[in-house]
Amino acid sequence: MNATVLRLSLRGLLGRRRALLLLLLPGVLLLLAVVIRLLAGSDEGVTRTLLGAFALGTLVPLLGLITGTGVLGPEIDDGSVVYLLAKPISRPVIVRSKLMVAIIAVTVFAALPTLLAGLIMSGLAGGLAVGYAVGALVAGVAYCALFLLLSVLTRNAVIVGLLYALIWETVLGGYVPGAQKLSVQQWALAVTRWIAGSEVRSAVGLPVGVVLLVVLFAGSTWYAGRRLSTLTLTSDE
Amino acid sequence: MSADQTGVIHDIGYRHYTGPRLGRGAIVRALFVQSLRGAYGLGRSAKSKVMPILLLVIMCVPALVIAAVVNGFKLTAQPVPYTRYAVVLLAVVAIFVAAQSPQMVSRDLRFRLTSLYFSRPLGRLDYVLAKYAAMVCALLLLLVSPLVILYGGGLLARLPAGAETRHFLLGAVGAVFFAVVLAAVGLLIAAFTPRRGLGVAAVIAVLLVTYSGVSVVQGIAQDQGQDTVAAYAGLFSPFTLVDGVQVWLLNARPSSPVGPPGTTGGLVFLATTLALLAGSFGLLVLRYRKVSIS
Amino acid sequence: MITAQALTKRFPRVTALDSLTVEVPPGVVGLVGANGAGKSTLIKILLGLLPPTSGTASVLGLDVVTEGDRIREQVGYMPEHDVLPPDVSATELIVQLGRLSGLPKTAARERTADTLRHVGLYEERYRPIGGYSTGMKQRVKLAQALVHDPQLVFLDEPTNGLDPAGRIDMLGLIRRIGTEFGISVLVTSHLLGELEQISDHIVVIDGGRLLHSSSTAAVTGTRERLLVEVTERPEALVAALVGAGVTATLSGRMIEVEIGDGVAYDLVRDRVADLGVGLVRIEQRRHRIAEIFRAVPSEATVAADVG
Repeated sequence: MNATVLRLSLRGLLGRRRALLLLLLPGVLLLLAVVIRLLAGSDEGVTRTLLGAFALGTLVPLLGLITGTGVLGPEIDDGSVVYLLAKPISRPVIVRSKLMVAIIAVTVFAALPTLLAGLIMSGLAGGLAVGYAVGALVAGVAYCALFLLLSVLTRNAVIVGLLYALIWETVLGGYVPGAQKLSVQQWALAVTRWIAGSEVRSAVGLPVGVVLLVVLFAGSTWYAGRRLSTLTLTSDE
Repeated sequence: MSADQTGVIHDIGYRHYTGPRLGRGAIVRALFVQSLRGAYGLGRSAKSKVMPILLLVIMCVPALVIAAVVNGFKLTAQPVPYTRYAVVLLAVVAIFVAAQSPQMVSRDLRFRLTSLYFSRPLGRLDYVLAKYAAMVCALLLLLVSPLVILYGGGLLARLPAGAETRHFLLGAVGAVFFAVVLAAVGLLIAAFTPRRGLGVAAVIAVLLVTYSGVSVVQGIAQDQGQDTVAAYAGLFSPFTLVDGVQVWLLNARPSSPVGPPGTTGGLVFLATTLALLAGSFGLLVLRYRKVSIS
Repeated sequence: MITAQALTKRFPRVTALDSLTVEVPPGVVGLVGANGAGKSTLIKILLGLLPPTSGTASVLGLDVVTEGDRIREQVGYMPEHDVLPPDVSATELIVQLGRLSGLPKTAARERTADTLRHVGLYEERYRPIGGYSTGMKQRVKLAQALVHDPQLVFLDEPTNGLDPAGRIDMLGLIRRIGTEFGISVLVTSHLLGELEQISDHIVVIDGGRLLHSSSTAAVTGTRERLLVEVTERPEALVAALVGAGVTATLSGRMIEVEIGDGVAYDLVRDRVADLGVGLVRIEQRRHRIAEIFRAVPSEATVAADVG
């Protein structure tokens, strides 16, 4: 991992407007946690709904998308990635450094707020806060790797990523049972269930979930390194 | 290539233009048409067409399926009411707004095409109006096409034509509400994020996070028996906000757990919608005031 | 074509234009000034896009404050920076822009085809702009300024980023626009040599003030001066010439000699021979626009000499 690439990417990712967005989203989560706590008191079912449907279901994929595509996508888009590629740093190292930045961002802006929200809503009861936070972390890490790869593969990475996260995982997942087995969200929920108890529902078991998460992460990272080596820059859309 | 090489054969020299020069109205109309076409990738490279057409197709496929089901199983009513279709498929609508708002406005800002626009007899307000109208129409196409398919399927299945037509028209009016509000929100956010990719993410973040958050709150509030809270929570997301207006004005069936309570509720929803529209439009015009030609 | 009377533009922290009074004749006019001298502000005001703090200006007889719309109908603008989106073809873009200038649909298509031909874009015009070279992109920018047959065009640094051959082509094109096409041109540039070649009239502004405005001929007219270059020891030659009573100054490697009554030529030849150095050139020296900057302190305002 290269410290300079890491530092520069971090600064690039936290540019004014993106940083605003990255702060706003967990802000909404925390606001909701407070509001719901006031409304409904401390209730494990309610906590599960907020952390599951909102945090894990919407916030984490979105933040994974923004950070995953945001560490490399803009550079490829405006062509300034040539400066990076011209340095004597191997492509896999570049990918790993940038991925690290995305993971740090996702931890700070998604996993930690999930933990906080869970604590606000039900304290440490039932391991919910910790469970969902860990689930958010592993999901976030997997999403980062996947979307980083997407940003190397296509200039429309954000939209393709959205189509996956929204249509595949959510909509289709409701209608096509098989789709649920191939959903990062479900794999992460398996991990959450392991920590927080069996009231958390997941379409896959723990071993399957963990294995698939690791495979997706490692595979995306490796493939992104390879594709970056053969990146051709075109100046049109 | 030297300018002298224009060649003796074809060069009839420079001809001045003596024809009519159209006024502001025609210019704004031209920008409107160009932008609307651009929203569906017409007149651009092939790659620009893929996403909007794909989304249009995805939007219409369920309508085709429903139409087939209605005909095949001889149903007596539409399984999905016309006014609910947009909300059921809001993921697709949201992605369309998120993907094409940047195409409509961020693109001009990012490449500074605005320098070429504003050095012509095209004012800032004209520009905003044309772009807004184009986005509204682009969304209308997306929202009404499946409704037309549903209507066709319904008529084919010999559903009562009078009632069916009324429902279809109500659905179309609802679609207008959605188009008007979503266009304003989408364009506003996109105008502040010329970086490609970030604009898409920002729009989708706002649309989805608000919807998801509101749904969760509504579900919880309902479980707790707090129906008023559940109803008014709908104010905080464009989709549920417009749905609320639909429910109140068009007597539609609510997509969220509850619709706005009574006339007060309806008025609050309507007022909020109008405020959102005015605010977005105003901010949009302000934003373009700051855009210079160099 | 363009007149400005005591035109002033003040921003919160800087005065961009300070009581600028100038009259610009038709033809090709070069606008010279360093970065920050006020050129872009001036163009924005002339296009009616920025109201002046005080003073008046008019373009083609139209007041910039009240008739900005009509000015922009009749004027073309070629910006200095990149403005072209990569995903449309030149034809498509210029047709659109033509229509936004008020041309009806068919006229826009015809004029686009004509204009692209005149600027020298042929088969490339159907490909997306993303794949164009800098030279082609500059031509597209120029074409969009001409498509609606304006009476006057503002060209901001039109030769930016072009290779030497491209520069020559562009300058030739601009000259043609001014002469054959019958469209007046206001060209800005840092490159004084270019402007000398193509302009009929030069306007120099510095720090928001008018420094100089006169015809090119008046500025660059030859005067009795010689440029001498020797292979070595130019200082010795200068000393020798001065010692013989001739005004000679050393600038870089060249020696500038004021001619008296034909005496100087022989004198220079003799002194060079005395010193035993090689003579590379003796040349009649034309004035360059750059001298205006050297001779006149930036505070002074030289009276306009419309020639």
